[in-house]
Amino acid sequence: MTNLEKSWQNTLDQVKTWARINSPWVIHFNSGSCNGCDIEILATLTPRFDLERFGVKLKGSPRHADVLLCTGPVTLQQRDRLMRIYEQMPDPKFVVAIGTCSISGGAFQGCYGVLGGIDTVIPVAAYIPGCPPRPEAIIDGVVKLVMSLKH
Amino acid sequence: MSNESALETANALLAPFAQGTARPDPLRLDAMLAADQLLPAVKALMDNKWGYLVAISGVDLGLATGQLEVLYHFGGADNGITTSLRVRIPRDNASVPSVCGLVPSASLYERELSEMLGITVVDTPNPTHLFLPDGWPDGLYPLRKDAAVPVATTLNS
Amino acid sequence: MQPETKTEEFIIPIGPQHPALKEPGHFEFGVDGETITSASVRLGYVHRGIEKGAEGRNWAQNLYLVERVCGICSHTHATVYALTVEKLAGIEAPPRAQAIRELVLELERVHSHLLWLGVVGHEGGFDTLFMYSWRDREIVMDLLEALTGNRVNYSTNVLGGVKHDVSPAQADAIRKGIDTLEERTHHYLNVVMVDSSFIGRTKGVGYMTKEQANALGAVGPTARASGVARDLRINAPYAAYPQYPVEMITDTGGDVFARTVVRVKELFECYRVIRQILDTLPAGDLTVKFPRKVKEGEALVRVEAPRGELMYYIKSAGGENPERVKIRTPTLANWGTVLTTVVGHKLADVPMILGGIDPCFSCNDRMITVQPATGAERHWTWEQLRRYGIAQYAGDR
Repeated sequence: MTNLEKSWQNTLDQVKTWARINSPWVIHFNSGSCNGCDIEILATLTPRFDLERFGVKLKGSPRHADVLLCTGPVTLQQRDRLMRIYEQMPDPKFVVAIGTCSISGGAFQGCYGVLGGIDTVIPVAAYIPGCPPRPEAIIDGVVKLVMSLKH
Repeated sequence: MSNESALETANALLAPFAQGTARPDPLRLDAMLAADQLLPAVKALMDNKWGYLVAISGVDLGLATGQLEVLYHFGGADNGITTSLRVRIPRDNASVPSVCGLVPSASLYERELSEMLGITVVDTPNPTHLFLPDGWPDGLYPLRKDAAVPVATTLNS
Repeated sequence: MQPETKTEEFIIPIGPQHPALKEPGHFEFGVDGETITSASVRLGYVHRGIEKGAEGRNWAQNLYLVERVCGICSHTHATVYALTVEKLAGIEAPPRAQAIRELVLELERVHSHLLWLGVVGHEGGFDTLFMYSWRDREIVMDLLEALTGNRVNYSTNVLGGVKHDVSPAQADAIRKGIDTLEERTHHYLNVVMVDSSFIGRTKGVGYMTKEQANALGAVGPTARASGVARDLRINAPYAAYPQYPVEMITDTGGDVFARTVVRVKELFECYRVIRQILDTLPAGDLTVKFPRKVKEGEALVRVEAPRGELMYYIKSAGGENPERVKIRTPTLANWGTVLTTVVGHKLADVPMILGGIDPCFSCNDRMITVQPATGAERHWTWEQLRRYGIAQYAGDR
């Protein structure tokens, strides 16, 4: 097995454990990203990675979600909607910032249209760097977050 | 139509309206126009089905010049030529007529031009912001050289 | 002129309401019953201020910025930017570099069209198509990663050339991957041409005549599906397209079905030209020296992104940073066509009509305001509109 395959198998084992405990419902929000991260998030739902077999459901409404997956550097136009969606989620709720832009503004730092990172607006529980992070890294990050909450 | 005939046709159609023309590139024709010749020039291109409006670019020529420039880029219907109609206007009281009567899809480009450079597009059907967020301050035009918006990253400062 | 607001007290509830999420609609549709009478759009949700930002970064730094205008066609942005700046500097990248640029451009087109097939499938309720096409798309994602080092945002280009080569082993892997994808694409062509529910949601939907396509400035597969022979790889070949040309793929159907067929057929052209490039890659350097300052002037280049024409206009004042970078994306051009052609169609067709132009993916995550001739405004999420479309067609007997 390659190192990637080994660490991926490790993550898969953790996901199975975690999913048996509870199945997190996830909502996705794009705060102005280039779509690079969003298509890799979407890829986690497709057969090669198949997040849904572990009980992770992608919900359409924040009212039923435990985890908010956020991409993008937070454009001025998306700021209010991001806050509204966060407010609508019931407690306990956790925000994952996916991609460099959602951490610091990434390539768009200093551009007038962006605030520069999800945590300028709402509290973030986990950061997954990358431009974009690969699907395995996204899953790994979400799993680490959930596992950390159990301890 | 071949690239060569498209260039010749555009040149001929625009000659009555242009103050001057230039060939900056084998695939490009520039026609300099006074603002009041813009609509007849666009009409000539559209009536003859020369091509389609690719984009409208506004440029701030710098505070020293006191001028802005608006470029209307037309692409040949089925060839690779770009014809740019270029209009220079004063920075203060900057305005151009809307081309939407001749090119209905120009509305989005005119909204962008207006909000980014503070150019009034007279009679444009929808003058609201296209890209700038709700609550953006009036009178702040990001692409003007003297706009008080951040430009640089921390890397180069 | 302000858009008119019509208000009545009679409320027709359709689908779950989210009063707390009420906000200015990104799309506003006026409807009379189920028929759309007017359409307008408010963008800006992804407006980052890139054109201004580019003025504060040097020529090389901007490669990384423009690559991220759109993650799906990132290399196309990087290539047209590089070509335009090289034109300003009076420098041409060497033949091997241009060929590698084209190779990655066509691999990108493959990933983009397969992505689109899945997304438009999802919009219409064909989730099997979405799953299969995205599973197959992983083949080209692996190829791009092996070649460039990243699955998305490849950073292949430098000013004056490319930063990576193609080894014989990589070339073999690409050939194998393309062989599999070609077989799968034949299958998809068959599926879309034969599946009655897919045809039901796409034939006659979003119809645009050739005259409208011309007058409204439609670009890309959207224009070609209305019989317009417009493809910048052919009309104004750039990079290595003069040496490795592609065929013009058009259709006369003018509807979403025709746009699907055009994109699927374009995939075959991608596979063919990718093989051709690999078989006859010119020898030579990957880069030429590029100056830190670019001489004063302006340049304009138009290329064919997977979605259609992408234009860059760049001005230099002779310094280390550009004076002006103007970017016109294909989706902005095609919005104009949608806003016009959607009038007269049913609300239930909106997801497929929008999907048919292959808009920037994030545009599918938008709020919709539906303004009926009689009755109160409805505010929907895109997901609600998508489900509405699927339900309407499922209910049609």
